[in-house]
Amino acid sequence: MSAQGPGDALSPLERHFSASDLVLYGAATWDWHRLHYDQAFASEMGLDAPIIDGQIYGALFAKQAMDEFGPKAFVRRLEFRMRNMAFAGDTLVARGEVTERRAEETREVLSLNQRLLRGETVIAQATTEVSLPARTICR
Amino acid sequence: MALLSAAVKAWIGREVHYPAVEEIGRASIRYFARALGDDNPLYRDDAFAREQGYESLVAPPTLVVETCQYADRAPDENGYAGHHWDLPVTGCRMIRAGNAYEFTRPVLPSDRISVTWTLEDIVERTSSKGGSLLFVTSVARHRDGAGDLLAVNREMLVYQPLEAGE
Repeated sequence: MSAQGPGDALSPLERHFSASDLVLYGAATWDWHRLHYDQAFASEMGLDAPIIDGQIYGALFAKQAMDEFGPKAFVRRLEFRMRNMAFAGDTLVARGEVTERRAEETREVLSLNQRLLRGETVIAQATTEVSLPARTICR
Repeated sequence: MALLSAAVKAWIGREVHYPAVEEIGRASIRYFARALGDDNPLYRDDAFAREQGYESLVAPPTLVVETCQYADRAPDENGYAGHHWDLPVTGCRMIRAGNAYEFTRPVLPSDRISVTWTLEDIVERTSSKGGSLLFVTSVARHRDGAGDLLAVNREMLVYQPLEAGE
């Protein structure tokens, strides 16, 4: 059952990031920057461990929206801000809710607030707009 | 420490164009979805995607703005092969502050995507700890083979002096 209107929560999305997950994401995006897998380089940069590439947070926020609203949904805007770094070995959970719903020609547009958490720590925050064919939402 | 020198400022307004190298392709889409642990059939099953009204399977929403596939550059000494401004800034680490994406339609495996990056602005701000930080805002415009806009990615990166690191 998907969120339909303001105040409705999105289903949480949990993701663990092992070191090999970071390598896999780097390769899949043609980005082999060693900050995401090289412990010695991360230390040189003053970091405790290789960091998760913040770009993947956008993909997770988009995935949470697509999982919630189904294959006819279209993510048309997504803006995210980094709040804290996250590292190889971390488990992050995306949470969010619908903040607004409005009709636009043949589509319904939902605005979302989303955040990515490690425990209580906010790693990133997003505002997202998803559009759906009008008939897929009924209330 | 003044990070925003005249030499750095001179980079504002620069533009680089990356012409399309090839179609995005089904393999890149499936690989990206795999890396996200996403088994949505929309990204791997043409028949399913057509039932949903799409021309073929589509890419996950943010693939177009996350992949460096378009750049066709050899990895640098740190392994990075995507777009990069060679700003004359030393002794800093670079951190992502955030991105703002706008999408006009789902990306198809047949899309041949060209990208133009523009360095929109560079400003220096004081951090909460009193040090200087350099905020660099760039915009990437992704266009399909017909020249129509597929996605806009406004990206903000921060250059932080290493000695100010936590």
